[in-house]
Amino acid sequence: MIGVTEEMPRVVFAGFASCFGCQINITNIEKHLMDVLGQVDLRYWQLTSSDPMPEAFDVAVIEGAVTTEEARAAVQRLRDGAKAVITIGACAATAGIPGMSTDDHEADMDAVYGANVPHVVADGAIAPMAVKDVIQVDFEVPCCPIDPYDFVEVLQHALYGSNAYRRTSTLCGECKNNERGCFYGRDMLCLGLVTRAGCGARCPDLGRPCNGCAGFSPDANVEQARRVAERAGIGAAAFDGALRMFNQPIAVGEEG
Amino acid sequence: MLYRVMDASELPKLIDAFMERFEVIAPVQSGRSIAFEPISSFDEIVLDYPTTLTSLKKYILPPRETLFEFSVEDADVTDYSLDIRPRVLFGAHACDINALNNLDLVFKDARYPDPYFEAHRAATMVVGVNCSPSESCFCHLLDADEVRSGYDLFLQDLGGRYLISIASVEAANILESACELREATDEDRREFRRLTRERQEAFSADIPDIQEIPMLMDAFHKDDFWAELGGRCLSCTACSAVCPTCYCFDIADTLDADGKTGRRERILDACTSPQFALVAGGHNFRETGRDRVRHRMYHKLNGFNSKHGRYLCVGCGRCVRACKADISPIEVLRFFERKGAEDA
Repeated sequence: MIGVTEEMPRVVFAGFASCFGCQINITNIEKHLMDVLGQVDLRYWQLTSSDPMPEAFDVAVIEGAVTTEEARAAVQRLRDGAKAVITIGACAATAGIPGMSTDDHEADMDAVYGANVPHVVADGAIAPMAVKDVIQVDFEVPCCPIDPYDFVEVLQHALYGSNAYRRTSTLCGECKNNERGCFYGRDMLCLGLVTRAGCGARCPDLGRPCNGCAGFSPDANVEQARRVAERAGIGAAAFDGALRMFNQPIAVGEEG
Repeated sequence: MLYRVMDASELPKLIDAFMERFEVIAPVQSGRSIAFEPISSFDEIVLDYPTTLTSLKKYILPPRETLFEFSVEDADVTDYSLDIRPRVLFGAHACDINALNNLDLVFKDARYPDPYFEAHRAATMVVGVNCSPSESCFCHLLDADEVRSGYDLFLQDLGGRYLISIASVEAANILESACELREATDEDRREFRRLTRERQEAFSADIPDIQEIPMLMDAFHKDDFWAELGGRCLSCTACSAVCPTCYCFDIADTLDADGKTGRRERILDACTSPQFALVAGGHNFRETGRDRVRHRMYHKLNGFNSKHGRYLCVGCGRCVRACKADISPIEVLRFFERKGAEDA
């Protein structure tokens, strides 16, 4: 919690390896946007400004994975300057889509560039990392993209304090409340079995299986989930393959 | 109790009469399953239906309900108007009516009355209908296959006509003014008895009938079985989401976007959620899947009995189908059957 001060908390938004969709999605709260901005002193928003990052701020909001040495240093500076760090989106939380190349980064670089690695890549590219693997993160807004209302709630937790905890239960319970039936048994693979609840199982509600963008639950039972996939005729290998999209470290066996 | 017989062709008139004054909730086709949903015409109803994916609980104890709204500046409640709609829950099976009765035992407890629950319940009429068991039904093993109270009308399909048990004056008035009724004959009663026997014999023989379940739960409290069963748990909470008698809830405050006002909400929780028994200071009383799954089964098959004299589980079989890890009370009954065979 930032604590109550005379001044409004100074907030900066920074974007790293990502599509910037989470920052854009924050603007989608439209009629509430000014209400939210009225609670902070917005000092910098990378999506909307080419100016350099200011030196002084209280809250750093970070989108994107860390994929270069420069980004690693920038994220560290954000941590050093901020009283609270909030990550937004799957790229920041799990390395997300950039993280698909974490495990085979050298081979992927080779496949893309061959012998002609551009200097900008050769001089600074690192295997993509989640922000929390670089610095300590205080608050996380999950999913790809984030739900902007989740962002508002988390920002308020940072501004005013909160003793709310995030559940680690996985998605199926929320999905049952939508009464759409299960993809297993319909020859479809769904990662809701191991993905942290909280999104309301929106994709399954719209007829699309979960692809795990909210991140792997710390209490996920991946062995049992693989057995479910085997029994459904989908196979554990396909299950692990699907996990790579947003949860590469889990998919390659670095659980916990 | 009053009994009357009505031709099946009269049923749409009853629904129409209900719809004049109530929101009518009934089983309808929803994707590949059946769901309880508001209807706008009799034709939408699927009255001969297998158990729905979720239960009628959502109309009495919604998954998320605003208890009141508050102002941060004034630190005071600003509004707690309830969203109460007079409803008829039409086509409830016996297990689901028994489940509502079990919820009554908890929420209408005179020492801890719950005004939200009571307001929903008081505005709700229940019309039951007979059913035939599907392969995961085991209500008969937990004394929930017959319903003795907790409904306004109960319809027994006798083939082209219904034998109706009438249990409330309000429902009787609507029924009598909308439909042609006649006295039940000996022939009607014989058919009722025949169909009741037929139903009793239709339950799956693969689900073991175990005596003294609460005692066995205590006797095998430390058995390795629970680690095996709970070790499979995915912590997904699907079991309690679909359960008609899981009623545990959490309370959470959420600020509105301007940070000046907010809502206090009741959100249904689940004892199979890893944080359910986490307390201030960081201790978790049920840290493992073994502990959590065992606790859930104990409440369903043992704990509620000691307090209320009946099983909390009504044997509807929803969790049997919802759990991807095959964890259900049926597995507990099978475990007791194996233990019995070992001892014999």
